[in-house]
Amino acid sequence: MIAAVYRANFNYLLRHPWQLALSVLGISIGVAVIIAVDLANDSSRKAFLLSMDTITGQATHQVIGGPRGVDETLYVQLRRQYGIRSIAPVVEGYVSVNDTSLQVLGVDLFAEQELRSFTSQLSSEQSSGQSEPAAPETVFRNMLTLPGAAVLSAPTARMLGIETGERFDVVAAGTRHSAILLGTYGAADTQSLDNVLTVDIATAQAWLGLANRLSRIDVRIADGDARLLSEISGLLPGDTTILPAAARTRTTAEMSAAFMTNLTAMSLLALLVGLFLIYNSVSFSVLQRRRLIGILRALGTTRRQVFGIILIETAAIGLIAALLGVGLGAWLGGKLLGLVSQSINDFYFRVSVTEVAPSVFAIGKGLVAGVGAALFAAMVPAIEASSYQPRLAMTRSFLEQQTRRLLPFVALAGTAIIVLAFLVLGSSGRNLVAGLVSVFLLILGFALCVPLGVKASTAWLAPLARRLGGVWGGLAVSGIGSSLSRTAVAIVALAVAVSATIGVSIMVDSFRGSVSDWLQKTLQADIYAGMQRGSMQPDLIRDLSQVAGVAAISTSRRASYEDASGSTQIRALQMAPGSYSGIELLDAEPARVWPAFEQDDALLVSEPYAYRNNVAPGDTVMLRTAAGEVAFEIIAVYQSYDINGSSLLMSRATYDRHFADPGVDSIGLYLADGVNADDVIEAMKAISAGRQEILINSNVRIRDLSLEVFDRTFIITDVLYWLAIGVAFIGILGAMLALQLERARELATLRALGMTPLQLGSMITLQTSVIGLLSGLAAIPLGLVMAYVLIEVINRRAFGWQIDMSIAPEILLSAVLFAIVAALLAGLYPAWHAAQSRPALAMREE
Amino acid sequence: MLRTGLLLAFLATVAAAHADLDERSQLSALLSAADNIGFPTVTEPRAFEFPRDHGPHPEYRNEWWYITGNLAADSGRHFGFELTVFRFALTPDLPASDSAWRTNQVFIAHFAITDTDGEEFYVAERYSRGAVGLAGAETEPFRVWIDDWEIAAIDDNRERERWRLRAADDDFALDLDLAAVKQPVLNGIDGLSQKSAEPGNASYYYSITRWQSDGRLRIGEQEFGVSGLSWLDREWSSSALAADQQGWDWFALQLSDGSDIMFYNLRKTDGAQDTHSGGTWVPASGDSRHIDRDEISVTVTATWDSPEGGTYPAGWDLRLDSEDLVLSVTPVIDDQELFTTVRYWEGAVEIRGTRAGTEVSGRGYVELTGYAE
Repeated sequence: MIAAVYRANFNYLLRHPWQLALSVLGISIGVAVIIAVDLANDSSRKAFLLSMDTITGQATHQVIGGPRGVDETLYVQLRRQYGIRSIAPVVEGYVSVNDTSLQVLGVDLFAEQELRSFTSQLSSEQSSGQSEPAAPETVFRNMLTLPGAAVLSAPTARMLGIETGERFDVVAAGTRHSAILLGTYGAADTQSLDNVLTVDIATAQAWLGLANRLSRIDVRIADGDARLLSEISGLLPGDTTILPAAARTRTTAEMSAAFMTNLTAMSLLALLVGLFLIYNSVSFSVLQRRRLIGILRALGTTRRQVFGIILIETAAIGLIAALLGVGLGAWLGGKLLGLVSQSINDFYFRVSVTEVAPSVFAIGKGLVAGVGAALFAAMVPAIEASSYQPRLAMTRSFLEQQTRRLLPFVALAGTAIIVLAFLVLGSSGRNLVAGLVSVFLLILGFALCVPLGVKASTAWLAPLARRLGGVWGGLAVSGIGSSLSRTAVAIVALAVAVSATIGVSIMVDSFRGSVSDWLQKTLQADIYAGMQRGSMQPDLIRDLSQVAGVAAISTSRRASYEDASGSTQIRALQMAPGSYSGIELLDAEPARVWPAFEQDDALLVSEPYAYRNNVAPGDTVMLRTAAGEVAFEIIAVYQSYDINGSSLLMSRATYDRHFADPGVDSIGLYLADGVNADDVIEAMKAISAGRQEILINSNVRIRDLSLEVFDRTFIITDVLYWLAIGVAFIGILGAMLALQLERARELATLRALGMTPLQLGSMITLQTSVIGLLSGLAAIPLGLVMAYVLIEVINRRAFGWQIDMSIAPEILLSAVLFAIVAALLAGLYPAWHAAQSRPALAMREE
Repeated sequence: MLRTGLLLAFLATVAAAHADLDERSQLSALLSAADNIGFPTVTEPRAFEFPRDHGPHPEYRNEWWYITGNLAADSGRHFGFELTVFRFALTPDLPASDSAWRTNQVFIAHFAITDTDGEEFYVAERYSRGAVGLAGAETEPFRVWIDDWEIAAIDDNRERERWRLRAADDDFALDLDLAAVKQPVLNGIDGLSQKSAEPGNASYYYSITRWQSDGRLRIGEQEFGVSGLSWLDREWSSSALAADQQGWDWFALQLSDGSDIMFYNLRKTDGAQDTHSGGTWVPASGDSRHIDRDEISVTVTATWDSPEGGTYPAGWDLRLDSEDLVLSVTPVIDDQELFTTVRYWEGAVEIRGTRAGTEVSGRGYVELTGYAE
């Protein structure tokens, strides 16, 4: 009996393949987006950790210093005077080769076997058919004796087009050096060492301008050897400290955590929209079969059996769809990965991902999400179906009646969820995840309120439509209200997708506006010259400042400072008279702040720093300096949209008093009145040519470049919400097809009554337009609330930024238009299909 | 003495045999490069000058400071020790660089202690570049070091050298004051030691064969006040063993009558004695004379099978008729084999015998290479 019931239902599905396909597609895309984002995040994170693990090797701890690292004599002292052997010096930095940024790892091969295996296994792999592999002793010997000798991973060498034995140019701190590729790493270590250029420590010091300095000292301390740890700690000078290596890696990885969490939230949004789609599909398939279910119930099938049949069927569809989604997600993940790792590379740390392989866990998560979402979405229709009285089940009007009866309760539940969302928001402090949860609760609550709104608005719109479009117009609009069980869900799906567009657009737009204003204000100098990493030559700075037309210069140094809580940027500014107005102080009196800034051991903290560390003016920041720990007073908070925004700003004089780092990485030039910036830039380029490769740009160009980077960062956001829209589009298509199919008899009757195919098609098109309009309108309030929450809660919690919300009317307008167009497009095929159908056949079928 | 050859000969074979490139063979390979183009060769005798020549000769490809000795604790417990610092130049010239880490000088050191009563042999090895103060050798005052291992002159203007030797590993350590009992003696012909027929295949080679040694020795947590006699060998060159040379047996023997004898027996691959073998006789007076290979006969009286493979001689009868000397030489324990960058046997020996009919005894060190691959 049960087998027959399953077969009957199964046959039904086979007879409606398009419906099956849409359900599967909806779940698949939802799952795919989750898997893809997961994969992109995870691959980036794993590649980073793997690479760090390889580079960290056996080191359990690392001795780090101030902005210019550790004095190399400390290392020599630890070995010579204290006989500590499980240590190795590292000089690290970045160089570019053929415009690709590579991490330089400068090591002392003699100290390496205590700490790293890959460096002591430098072997040569033939990177081409022609060149002979270098003998290992040659690699070892040349590393030591040949300046510029380097080793790369085989894929990186291939990517850069460098063969073993070949010379190539390396640009470090704006200066060109000659390097030679001695060999490549064996396959086993290849992936984690991509984009790492291993050189001798002497080469690294020479390239990076770090004579007598080490980036860090790697230390291996056997488990529980507290004596050695405290011995080393006791030997360190005041500006150095020893930190556990694993914790350092973790805090570095955590820098990008907020970014990744936000992406995950976006992916969940896609699944959420997918959820409505599944609900739509399942409930439709149930509705379609109400006759069949009625018959089965009449024949003695129990409620529980009906319930079971629907859930098993949904689970099966969910599983198939989720499997497809996993495959699709793996592909999509590869595409997203480029965007994600690009952003991470731009802002956080070097990550080079060559392999995208979904973990069993990620696949499992995708499958559970797919099947779970399908079952969750099917629950309501399944309960409904099993609760049908055998006779009533066969009528459609019963269902709509029931739906309408439930509407107020659904809306009430929605309101309750919205209240809950605000409660979560208000009580969760600075927790980012809680902030995101409240966003989802808001969406869910809002979605539940939409059907009631649709009912009310169609009741109000129908007379208007009748007046404007005659009886067909009236029918079209009232049709939406009278088949709410179908249309409401389609509207909700589209509204949620569109509201996400609105919310994210307003957020990005406001953010961009704030950043743009900030850049405008910050970039006070007319011309900026400098480099990403490294120091400008002092005599070059002098010569540039003497170019005719330059009235004043400011200098800037960005140094990375690290302690147990992670990495912070210290900016040391030598101000020009015009520089002060470029720093927007928050709630502080410039006349009081600036003199103290130049005189005392004082500093400013960026807004994100203040938010993250919960500090305010009057508090102090402890920093390790050449003279040990020093307390710096925070005299003000300033605005900054730098993504590594956790920064400390101090005057050059203060910096020089405490840190032995004379470097300058950029200068700002203030021009005299009437001087043409382009002429000065040309003169500067001529002066620096052949001396140091520096970037020279006008303030306008810098702003444009910065905004370009900003826009690139949000490409991934764009991609994700287009995917959500895609899911919603399929939802509308499905809903309209379903409606039209359901109403085949009604439509046939209309045709029989004299309605032309064109009129019928127009009616359906009108109906979908109204659905689009309603979705778009419904999306506006939700979108605004989402924008508010994204700006005030999510961005603040994730990055500590304060953004001024600005609502561009065109965003709202285009969202509504977009909803209408999407609905129209989705309605085209159903309209055409309905117009094509032969009324006699349709009536007979029903 | 022939340590340069020792390393280089082994290094070449080890490097060829190990495709898997562990750390040891890496270093071996590093040092095994066959060509010595650009390095000065040893063809003419030189005017040795001390203390200047205790210091480094960085233009030559290889050089070492080799100190071995036999010590006794106050309780009479016997210990042997070896501390050797090798210097290698990887290239004839020092590459120019902005970094102090850039160098062509590499240092390797071996430190071993034989605990005769405990029947234990302890070995440690260090290697480092000769830069930034991690390792190096200096002339004025004399000092050679690698990490916290060091041999250095104690600058007190004595007529004879006084040095301090310090080395420590996790399980054993040594801190000795060395006072030279004799002046340096030049080995070979006026300090030029020819190693094969090939011109330039030679080294500059001198020894201070007897140092009064006092200090402290640590095994595990146990410390001993120790005293005894030590021996210094100094050699530098730019050459290696000849292709037909297999290895050598080297003896540094200190006798109870105050005389010392050094002899090395170069073995050819076909098992025959190489004609370039030879030695130096240093009577109690401190004068010295060359020992020709024909003057001395060495007979192996026992062998020892290394658990790692290879069979070493483990007892010798030695006759030097010109001094009416008959000696029987026995290792204090058999297993004094070093598994360092190169594998060799270097151990403390005990001596019994007669000189002109009178009983003599003594202690010394023997080095055996080319017995195990």
